[in-house]
Amino acid sequence: MNLAATIDHPAAPSTATGIPNKKILFWAFLASDCMFFGTLISTHLVYRLHPPPGNPVPTQVFNIELTSFSTFILLMSSLMMALAVNAIQRGQVRTMRSSILVTIAFGLIFLGCQVFEFNDFVFEKHVTITNSIFGSTFFTLTGTHGTHVAVGVFWLTLMYIRSFKPVDATGGAWVGRAVVHLLLFALTVVLGMYSAIAFAHAALAHGVNATMLAAFANSHGVAVAGTFLAAAGLRWLGMAHGAVDFDARNADDVESMGLYWHFVDIVWIVIFTAVYLLEYVIPAGQVR
Amino acid sequence: MDIPLPADAPGHSHHESRYNVYVQIAMVLAIITGMEILLIFLPFATWLVVGSLVALSAVKFLFVIFFFMHLRWDKVICTAIFFIGLVLGGGTLWALVRLFSAAASVPLSSSP
Repeated sequence: MNLAATIDHPAAPSTATGIPNKKILFWAFLASDCMFFGTLISTHLVYRLHPPPGNPVPTQVFNIELTSFSTFILLMSSLMMALAVNAIQRGQVRTMRSSILVTIAFGLIFLGCQVFEFNDFVFEKHVTITNSIFGSTFFTLTGTHGTHVAVGVFWLTLMYIRSFKPVDATGGAWVGRAVVHLLLFALTVVLGMYSAIAFAHAALAHGVNATMLAAFANSHGVAVAGTFLAAAGLRWLGMAHGAVDFDARNADDVESMGLYWHFVDIVWIVIFTAVYLLEYVIPAGQVR
Repeated sequence: MDIPLPADAPGHSHHESRYNVYVQIAMVLAIITGMEILLIFLPFATWLVVGSLVALSAVKFLFVIFFFMHLRWDKVICTAIFFIGLVLGGGTLWALVRLFSAAASVPLSSSP
């Protein structure tokens, strides 16, 4: 190991390992999560080895183009997360905020793709969590991963809001502002995702043309306008309001969050290959 | 635009930027993902495609944990802790798949 390049933790109190306890705790948690996802992936693969009669054919229900796109998006979100950690380690708070916002956006796009995929499975392909073994193991595995992504997005949002804490923050005023910030964030996300998914469904059903756009504006115009209004509110709250109590000393907090986010990415790397791609190479029941 | 803090200011860190390293690795990961998708549609032997997919995924996995998650620059105890969980989880997966791949494990009610 190159000692000159070893990570130092100037803000952390000295520990027996020389690493902040929070970070050790996080690596231990990720190790336990490896075992958790190991069992879920095993369960899915074991049932794919010998699928019971009546199981759907995965390659006929998968939308590999959509999944490939969401895989790419999650990889790029990992890059943005790494850049956010890199920025805060050098004391660049504004760069860190921008990187976190892009990471959140990519995480939401991934979740939107998953919602779209689940919707397609249930309502178009009639694969549910209860009507086949494949559905049970698939939804449990990918749903658990999606929940991890959602928790990560929530954590990123909290860290983004935390980075605005003023140096001279007084309890009530700062907490009130943070709560408003969080509510506005939630409103933007919910309205934005609702609008985006509704647009995707309308575009797929009718194609993108003037009639479809007019009908979409008529039926979802309020949600779209609400998204932009809430985003404008977020922009206003995100403008500089003086010195903040957030700098390179918070790098360990951001790094711990980054470790979680990258872990979600590596789990998806395994799921994408084991659950999706291998189905196109080895049809179920042909493994010996 | 960020204003760089003076070296002796509180909150200043001496970390060197790894911006270029991260961007280059992300590009490699994107290219590998593209190769994986392409591979499943190529008329190669199954063992070759499966082996390539597993190898490419492992490369992506290792790139992320050693560079994005900083294991390359961090103390070895972090790698050790993570690999304990990884080996246990991966070993369980491998053992179960091998066990249920055996001819004696085929359930009577499975598809022909």
